[in-house]
Amino acid sequence: MREGIVIGLAAIGLAFSLSGVVGILRMPDVYCRIQCSSKTITMGALPVLIALVVAEGPVSPYGSRALLVAVLLLVLNPVASHALARAAYKAGVPMWAGAVTDEVAARAAGEGPAGNAPPHQARAADPGGQAPP
Amino acid sequence: MAEICLAVAIAEIAIAALLLARLAAGPTVSDRIVALNTMSTQATLAVLFFSAFAGRTIYLDVALWLASFSYLGAIVWSRYLERGLL
Repeated sequence: MREGIVIGLAAIGLAFSLSGVVGILRMPDVYCRIQCSSKTITMGALPVLIALVVAEGPVSPYGSRALLVAVLLLVLNPVASHALARAAYKAGVPMWAGAVTDEVAARAAGEGPAGNAPPHQARAADPGGQAPP
Repeated sequence: MAEICLAVAIAEIAIAALLLARLAAGPTVSDRIVALNTMSTQATLAVLFFSAFAGRTIYLDVALWLASFSYLGAIVWSRYLERGLL
């Protein structure tokens, strides 16, 4: 019974991790890859950690460390992904040719320096976000 | 239960090994950092499960250290990409 739960949770987590890795390998540009790396890998790590908690018990050394690692992962993975995406954008990494909209560029073009425009004006300055031909 | 732990650890390492392709072929530095970040997450899980397989609680500290400080590398790299050496 308990082994079945552990195997099921580990299988779910490994399947999510595998799909995230396939996404990182197959996605067209760095921003899509960051999305795979942040969401899918976190979702893949959590069931695996819960499987270890179920296998060893939450107050055992392994289970408590697994819970700690889960909390750290939930806090730090979005931070690192956000910093990476921001740095990639500022460093001028090109978007995929099929990308639909670039709201930061639209806002910077509409109202002077980026970040100063109120949201409704920035939205009015947005050309509408049509897909490029 | 120990066999399951070893199987999960090996599977995590195998999944992380797939990312070596992106690490080698990533067109920009950011792609490589994303691949490295994901590999470190998978390595954390693999170390946790290997310590449960081996029954050595000393390995848990390695996993905790990896979980705490592997993101520091990504943040430092992104800061470097954003503003240059400083």
